[in-house]
Amino acid sequence: MNSVMYDTYTIFWRELKRYKKSRSGVLIRLIQPAIWIIVVGNIFSETQPLIQSVGFEGEYIEFMAPGVIILTAIFTSIFGGVNTLWDRRYGFMNKALTSPISRSAIALGKMSAISLIAALQASLIIGIALAIGVTFPNPLMIIPIMGIVILFSLGFSGISVTLAATAKSQETFWGMINLLGMPLFMLSPALFPLELLPNWLAVVAKLNPVTYTVLLVRELMTGVSEGGVPILISIAVIFAFVVAMVAIASYVFTREVNKPF
Amino acid sequence: MYSIETKSLTKSFGDLVAVNDISFSVEQGEIFGFLGPNGAGKSTTMMIFTTLLKPTSGKAMIAGFDVMKDAKHVRENIGFVQQETTVDEYLTGRENLLLQAKLNHIPKNEINSRIDEVLDLIELSDKQDQAVVTYSGGMRKRLDIAGGLLHHPKVLFLDEPTVGLDIQTRRKIWQYIKKIHIEFEMTIFVTTHYMEEADNLCDRIGIIDGGKIQVIDSPQNMKNALGNEIISLVIENNNNHDSFLVELKKIEFIKKINEDDSKLTLFTSNGTEVIPKIFQISSELGIKITTISLTQPTLDDVFISYTGHEIRDDKSKFNRKIEHAKMKRLRA
Repeated sequence: MNSVMYDTYTIFWRELKRYKKSRSGVLIRLIQPAIWIIVVGNIFSETQPLIQSVGFEGEYIEFMAPGVIILTAIFTSIFGGVNTLWDRRYGFMNKALTSPISRSAIALGKMSAISLIAALQASLIIGIALAIGVTFPNPLMIIPIMGIVILFSLGFSGISVTLAATAKSQETFWGMINLLGMPLFMLSPALFPLELLPNWLAVVAKLNPVTYTVLLVRELMTGVSEGGVPILISIAVIFAFVVAMVAIASYVFTREVNKPF
Repeated sequence: MYSIETKSLTKSFGDLVAVNDISFSVEQGEIFGFLGPNGAGKSTTMMIFTTLLKPTSGKAMIAGFDVMKDAKHVRENIGFVQQETTVDEYLTGRENLLLQAKLNHIPKNEINSRIDEVLDLIELSDKQDQAVVTYSGGMRKRLDIAGGLLHHPKVLFLDEPTVGLDIQTRRKIWQYIKKIHIEFEMTIFVTTHYMEEADNLCDRIGIIDGGKIQVIDSPQNMKNALGNEIISLVIENNNNHDSFLVELKKIEFIKKINEDDSKLTLFTSNGTEVIPKIFQISSELGIKITTISLTQPTLDDVFISYTGHEIRDDKSKFNRKIEHAKMKRLRA
């Protein structure tokens, strides 16, 4: 077990080194969520009556800021697994596979690095949100929010690593990511309250772990509880999602990398 | 104890047999060259030895451990330097080695001294803190090789270590490999399709073609086995072609004849005495010799004599199809 931890840290260290060296990547990853919060947040500011109808008193931008934080987490982490494909193409994977480190440690190291990177990106978005006037009733809440973002991103990095391990080509991977990322984001209360969704969509949204994460982060950020989901239920759903995804990713990754690429 | 030992090792992809029932062993401390044209089964064999592929049947022991049953121990005892350079470009040379050290579980308190040691060996100490992206191809390769040595493996696998490098760099890499061999006393298993490289580096050479080992011996013995001279001649096509061959075979010094259309290659000794005899036979049979030459055999000739084709010969269409099918299966 000790050695799995050490090996996981080795891969984690390598992934973070690579992230640190790609300064342009940090900015590029920020552009999309920044556009969401600045542009969409302002365009939809007139929809305030809609969100007031479900008991949210603040500005629209304050309502959607948690959604954009989660958006950042979703997309940073779901793209994060792509270097698995590069690693297999350019030999790093074979290097790791012929060394004594455990296979699942490679997957775990990648996932933990991706989730930390996603959280860093999300914290930059929180910074942007604060800069454009979003306020936190209780600034200390940032700590649990970051914890949730890290945990949630770990689940999504599991999805990413699973897809990257099974995809034979970049095209398949990107196709799958686009197929999954946007719908999961849209089918959540990130932009609009759950109460405004038609019934059948609301049912689908309730099956989506993103929904619980957005509700939880929004409640911590704004103090408004929405959708009638208790905090503990949300936390439990996120935990279950993360445990399941990490397990699936480790299993699939270990199985797939043993096949020739 | 042998460093590498295989018994009836076979790997097939569907109907295609990439490695066909090979058995051989490599002694501890040897530099063993594995020679063959593209698609001969070199890489597949190397992948089995490095635990990246499982054999279909047969057995392979590396440093005394079974690649199937004891892959983890095999991995602890091998270094693998792949054909393509695998160093992380945006990390510095030293960081790359640090990563490699961690991957191979080198004890923390030894990591720095090991890195200094190999950096010194490959003469990259002064560039160690620069990002690899600034390195030349040869420097990257050296760094890659250093990474494979860091944990002092018992067996070092080098897959085409000099492919794509210029001749000067290639020579330099050979020097490093020899230096490593002396300094660490490790067994080195190297695949290559450069004859010169095999001749220069290896204690023994195995020639593989079509998934089978054709011959294993030292480069010098191989060349000697062919006689010490080669006569190449081109003749004009003639009805007496076959009887010409029959007569040639009767000359006692000729050890082997390879035929490629109108081009004949005779492996022989006492070449200067053989040539007049050839002329005598040809004039009796009315065969016209267009050109004739007498040369010393190179490893290239050894290769041709065992495989029937040159190492970089384009294979027939049929073989290319097989190759394609194999790559497709590998990817699937």
